[in-house]
Amino acid sequence: MERVLITGGASPLGGEIAAAMDDCHVRLLDEAWGDTTVSGPRVEAREGSLVDEAAVREAVRDVEVVIHTGDPPLDLPGIGRGREERLLDLATRGTHKLYNAAIEAGVRRFVYGSTLEIFDAYPETVYVSEFHRPLPTTEPASLARYLGEITSREFARDYSVSVTTLRLGRMVYEEDVAGRDRDLMWLDWRDAAATFRAASTLDRSSEMSWCGLTFSGRYALFHVCAPAENPRFVGRAHTLHEPVHGFGWKGERT
Amino acid sequence: MKRKVLLLGGSGLIAPNLMAGLDPYYDVTLADVKPHPDGREILTVDISDYEQVREAATGMDALMNWTVVRDDPDLSFHVNTRGALNVMKAAAEHGITKVVHSGPQYVRYYYDHDFDITDVPRATGVGYYVLTKTLSGEICAAYARAHQIHTACFLFNGLAAAPTEPRRGDYPPFTVVWEDLHLAVRLALEIEAIPDLYQEFNMTSYEGHGKYNSDKARRILGWERTSDWERFYRREP
Repeated sequence: MERVLITGGASPLGGEIAAAMDDCHVRLLDEAWGDTTVSGPRVEAREGSLVDEAAVREAVRDVEVVIHTGDPPLDLPGIGRGREERLLDLATRGTHKLYNAAIEAGVRRFVYGSTLEIFDAYPETVYVSEFHRPLPTTEPASLARYLGEITSREFARDYSVSVTTLRLGRMVYEEDVAGRDRDLMWLDWRDAAATFRAASTLDRSSEMSWCGLTFSGRYALFHVCAPAENPRFVGRAHTLHEPVHGFGWKGERT
Repeated sequence: MKRKVLLLGGSGLIAPNLMAGLDPYYDVTLADVKPHPDGREILTVDISDYEQVREAATGMDALMNWTVVRDDPDLSFHVNTRGALNVMKAAAEHGITKVVHSGPQYVRYYYDHDFDITDVPRATGVGYYVLTKTLSGEICAAYARAHQIHTACFLFNGLAAAPTEPRRGDYPPFTVVWEDLHLAVRLALEIEAIPDLYQEFNMTSYEGHGKYNSDKARRILGWERTSDWERFYRREP
């Protein structure tokens, strides 16, 4: 049974990914667990911070895959500079420590959770694909995720590891938003988790180049949101996982 | 009246060599966490502490960030990355519209066997120095866009005194002499608008290899080398 580490393990996304990895031994890492509980023989919860080297070294021991959700801890302050500095620190220094420790422990596959919010500055008239330049705002959560994405990417440049970034849409449960105006960034939690699962199997660590035509190098990048009749975000994530939840859209992908 | 400029990293390896080119033109306040090597007055500011940066930036017309921690796995993030965030936040809060930032060259590990290397993208890697400064550049760009802060970032490989007598041997690659940097910094402080609000400039005074050059600084800032420094390295047949 493959052993997978999921960071942000106490977050809703961490929980959904753990559920989707139903044939793996899953180790969940987070700073604070609050009321979140995990159960089952194949799921293990660890408390520890990404910026605590000892905790991270323990967390990556004996795992084959690291899924770094990018989700912040539950006890993060809601507003203020403390929140901003901690988000930034976890996404940059924390990501660096995590990848360093994992590579040292022999991990070769990484998946990182970024966000499509880094394209908010583009007008609605643009089809935003993976080829577009991110224009992150100063909003701390999305800026931190983008900085974490860059940190992750650079490990694929320097090491023989496979790094896949998933830029995620706005996650909801399809049934919770039934009847509401369609948001072209919507992505069902379960499809997000299934995409992480599919991405976790990608292994391009033996590729000679970190960058290749049409994502053939050690680094890969996908925009992930539900299909729509007239999508704003386009890309190739459906080659990893074809979303089940279309938010009413049943047509063929174009 | 001279414009007021806060220079963070005032006691570092670069800033003391800039003052001859800045003092005649600007009212410079030097800030750092350690004493100045020549005994100049230093305002004690820890760039990783936002309140200290914000207070030091009060009343300034421009901010310059020459701070760096190179290889420490924690301080490099706190000083280089969070420090850049603090500088840009302080500029935004005070309505300061000009920032000069700094960082390392990001190109030599990838392009040292190529030529005509002008505006190529960063090839960063995971070293603490280059990565934390790359992240700082992204933060600067985001804040520059959001708050209309015209931000110039100078990137260095070597910095050195200008040659004064003939030398035997090749000139150093990707190295800027102080006089040329003085001019570049003044131009960055004076230029009204930086295209797209944030730009990075590779700085070198020696371009005879046909490899690295400072064409972007010429094009955007109107910079030019203050002398033909390569004349000191001519071989006598």
